[in-house]
Amino acid sequence: MEYEGRSGQSSSSISPKKNVRRNLDFEPLSTTALILENRPANLPAKPEEEAQKHRQEYEEMVAQAKKRELKEAQKRKKQLEDRCKHEESIGNAALTWSQEILPNWQSMCSSRRVRDLWWQGLPPSVRGKVWSLAIGNELNITDELYNICLARAKEKWNAFVAPTAAAETENEDAGLSHADREASLELIKLDISRTFPSLCIFQQGGPYHDVLHSILGAYTCYRPDVGYVQGMSFIAAVLILNMDTADAFIAFANLLNKPCQMAFYRVDHSLMLTYFAAFEVFFEENLPKLFAHFKNNSLSSDIYLIDWIFTLYSKSLPLDIACRVWDVFCRDGEEFLFRTALGILRLYEDILTHMDFIHIAQFLTRLPDDISADEIFSSITTINMNSKNKKWAQVLQALQKGQDRGSPLLKH
Amino acid sequence: MQVPWNFRFGIVILGDSSVGKSSLLHRYTEGTFDESRQSPLGIDFKVSNMYFDPDVVIKLLLWDTAGQERFRSICKSYMRNSVGCILMFDVSQRQTFDRVRSWQQEVLDYVKPNPMFFVLVGHKCDLAVGRQVRKSEGDALAKKLNMLAYLEVSTKENINVKETFETLTRGIYNLFQQGKIPTRGDWQGLTVGATVQKESPVTKKSACCNCG
Repeated sequence: MEYEGRSGQSSSSISPKKNVRRNLDFEPLSTTALILENRPANLPAKPEEEAQKHRQEYEEMVAQAKKRELKEAQKRKKQLEDRCKHEESIGNAALTWSQEILPNWQSMCSSRRVRDLWWQGLPPSVRGKVWSLAIGNELNITDELYNICLARAKEKWNAFVAPTAAAETENEDAGLSHADREASLELIKLDISRTFPSLCIFQQGGPYHDVLHSILGAYTCYRPDVGYVQGMSFIAAVLILNMDTADAFIAFANLLNKPCQMAFYRVDHSLMLTYFAAFEVFFEENLPKLFAHFKNNSLSSDIYLIDWIFTLYSKSLPLDIACRVWDVFCRDGEEFLFRTALGILRLYEDILTHMDFIHIAQFLTRLPDDISADEIFSSITTINMNSKNKKWAQVLQALQKGQDRGSPLLKH
Repeated sequence: MQVPWNFRFGIVILGDSSVGKSSLLHRYTEGTFDESRQSPLGIDFKVSNMYFDPDVVIKLLLWDTAGQERFRSICKSYMRNSVGCILMFDVSQRQTFDRVRSWQQEVLDYVKPNPMFFVLVGHKCDLAVGRQVRKSEGDALAKKLNMLAYLEVSTKENINVKETFETLTRGIYNLFQQGKIPTRGDWQGLTVGATVQKESPVTKKSACCNCG
């Protein structure tokens, strides 16, 4: 139908009357724009039979055009409906989450339906709540404890500003030298201004500057043995964007307490190497050609993974996509961070296979900003996190037992 | 595929935190001074080409190491794949100068049996007040520790930035020409690429800088 309609239109435009055609050069939307003209007066009139035929052809063309327009109108209507449906589904999803799932969290959170819904991305209105629930509060941190830690942090800041008073509090710190603490405080100040600078909300004078400062400061008092480590400011910032201050602190402390995050933030190098080695097991299995290419170029995974894992992609992916990675990370745990990494490699496999060491490293440490959520998630879907019937945790555990072997790609 | 460089040197920049490692590298590769730069997580790197004589292209793989002390263990694997080291201290912080000797020892122990060549950089020499290390001390220490040179550098004022990288690269190149640096298949510190084309200045064009 579509084809016929189009051919009808094109045949009409090959009319020998060039001047008429020129008038129609603006490409009529439909054939109704054609005027069924009589022959000019200086030419003999059309025979009735021909005129009849032309009229009939004209009417057919009009009918075609009407049909086509109707079809287009229906298509537009469908698109509008789809968009409405999509918006509605977000609205519905938000409703489903807030009215159905959240009140019955314990019984529903691991059901098939919820897990599917979860994968599609959490509606922003419930995102913080779901993250909080999924991360949990194993550490039993209360709002009160947060306030105590914050008060202590404030004391220290004041002491730091007035160094004469510092002498007294100095000895209380477990395992942190004065220089370290000083560096930590300085670093927090410096890093806050470098956290999502394009959003302009964490910088000095921005609405979330003090909140970010408070959470990071409180954490150094809550865990002086860990202290402030670069990269933390990004994690705290993403949490602040999705929940209120005390909840963000609770989620922050619990999140960092997870084995993978603890290994990285304490820079337990041998354990980090074990994580990289486990990653490479799945890398080789899922993307053998690219794995071999990286190996030939002596490109070890730490070059790109360190940044991705430390900041949970919040520095490397656009923020909306990073939040969707966080969604599923909260559902599936650390394994999803590595699955995402493989999804990214898979998405760019063709480009990467044609690059040398330097270009691969540059590409992966500065990912393109036009990356699409749908593409990356459908790429992640294809990554299989089963290696010879072993799951991520089992592979990791096996490697931990025979630790010294380390990464096959890393040279030591 | 044609290899656009004749040699590739791995260069690592080391020194105590906040002596200005990243800003020196940034000034060298981007040509600007940026005070609010993010300190690298673990490790960061830049690439730059250097042209000699005028038909020798040396590709420099420049490894920038983390500011925070605890990231140091990560940086070690990158020392192994470097032939040169820019060891930095801050002329206004005496203790960063005092740590130079142990830094060098640590690096040499770690990269054994591969060689490593050093230049010593006294950074922030633009500071008129607050200097705690004299130039003569830097000179003497570099000599004593068998380093290629001592340079006083200011990233802010763009003093001796280019010279630092050139001195180190030139020094390593000369030592290599004298046969003092062996290359090995499993060592990425110094890699030989395309043979030097004596009469082809075109190489220079085809291998323009690709950092960024």
